[in-house]
Amino acid sequence: MLAGPSLGQGREETRSKPGTLLSAAAEQTTRYEGSGGPLLQLIDVSKYFGKTPALSDVNLTVNRGETVAIVGPSGSGKTTLLRCINFLVPYDSGRILVNGRLVGYREQQGNTVRDTGHNVNEIRKRIGMVFQQFNLFPHRTVLGNLIEGPLYVLRITRSEAVTRAQAALELIGLMDKVEAYPDQLSGGQQQRVAIARALCMEPELMLFDEVTSALDPELVGEVLSVMRQLARKGMTMVVVTHEMEFARDVADRVVFMEASKIVTDQPASDFFERPSTPRIGAFLSRLSLPRNSD
Amino acid sequence: MIQFAKDYIPLYFAGTLVALGVAALSMALSVGIGLLGALGRMSGNRTARSVTSAYVAFFRGIPPLVLLYVVYFGLPSWAQELGVRPLADFLAPLNNRIMSAVVAFGVNSGAYSTEIIRSAIASIHPEQMEAAQSLGMSYWLAMRRIIVPQSARVAFPPLGNEFIAVLKGTSLASVIGVTELMRDAQLVAAATFRNLAAYTLAAVFYVVLVIILQSVVGRLERRLSLVHK
Repeated sequence: MLAGPSLGQGREETRSKPGTLLSAAAEQTTRYEGSGGPLLQLIDVSKYFGKTPALSDVNLTVNRGETVAIVGPSGSGKTTLLRCINFLVPYDSGRILVNGRLVGYREQQGNTVRDTGHNVNEIRKRIGMVFQQFNLFPHRTVLGNLIEGPLYVLRITRSEAVTRAQAALELIGLMDKVEAYPDQLSGGQQQRVAIARALCMEPELMLFDEVTSALDPELVGEVLSVMRQLARKGMTMVVVTHEMEFARDVADRVVFMEASKIVTDQPASDFFERPSTPRIGAFLSRLSLPRNSD
Repeated sequence: MIQFAKDYIPLYFAGTLVALGVAALSMALSVGIGLLGALGRMSGNRTARSVTSAYVAFFRGIPPLVLLYVVYFGLPSWAQELGVRPLADFLAPLNNRIMSAVVAFGVNSGAYSTEIIRSAIASIHPEQMEAAQSLGMSYWLAMRRIIVPQSARVAFPPLGNEFIAVLKGTSLASVIGVTELMRDAQLVAAATFRNLAAYTLAAVFYVVLVIILQSVVGRLERRLSLVHK
């Protein structure tokens, strides 16, 4: 598997740069990895909006340290898939397991019932999510955005939260914007802060929902490079994206979705080199991806 | 006229302070009711939704003067006649004119504040709630930390206007004998027979007061603005 060697590199880097926020997260990942087993599992997950299927019997496994890109035409269920993972959208059937723990439901006397809000929040705080529209809190400074979750959800001390925030800002390269408000930042900067906000919770899984789609083309690069760093450091990531180059260069696996189903799930290089169906070939050629022969 | 103004300005000032006090207390009650009402209106709980909707429909429909009569002349004596001691005790404070005025104006204005705050909360993008929840925040924590603070900035200008409306409405309290600005003007008019001068001076006081309040509201509004550029 592709994941093997790239993960190994990630670990090396981690050791060479101790003390940063993300190295701590990566070390955690490394520790878990020994125990084996996937971090995220979707088993026969289905979701309907009214009578329209958004997800039909979706099966997906993401191992620790892996970066999985989900691609496909719009309306294929990519975003719904992502939002089901942290239960922003409740799924109708099947099971989603994060770290072996069922998301959003629990067994009660043989029946599966909706889990308590408290338990859902327990899982959510271990899953970072980055949105297409950034969704920073406009009434708080960058620092305020970064410490909000750690202070009020994780309930760590303010000085600890600020230390985390500074480490995250260093990673995204925006140390000078601590006191800025979101509307004083460019789209790319806002999205990097949104990534930092998720990182400050020290999540074990990060979900990215078309995070570059709302950006001006010249700002896409800075956001992707932050994500590239995260992947290299061994963060487990599920990335819904239209950035095929990113998928090809960074993702370990590429999942192609169409009409609420997962059509293929293969190593990134195979996906781009040998499109397994004519449909994927057509999809890729329409995106005018520079071929990997270069 | 100048001499007249000189003679009565101190009295009018006192009345102005009473009017401002009644308006401030009424508005505090109004915003409190409005916050609860707005959360009720947006709640997933059906009962909470229908109770708050009924409140808004009902109290928006009652003229404040009618409500004032009901509260001041109606409620305490009704409780007396009914002979239920705890109820009578509970409503006894309404024998106080100022208290009655505050309750009547507060409850009346609360119906408007409910709508103002509800629409302010509704104006915050639902994605803000999602972002907060994705951090593991509960609904109420997200409301308290993320949604309500942003809504407050949206609700502030219309609530400022509502305060001005309530302030002008306090002139109605003169009919139950609260010695606010309008009542003072009536007393002066009765004593001097100079109706035009007495009421015109009151009008000037109201206008100046409202202009000052408007500029204060405007200044605070700019300071609270979410736009930082």
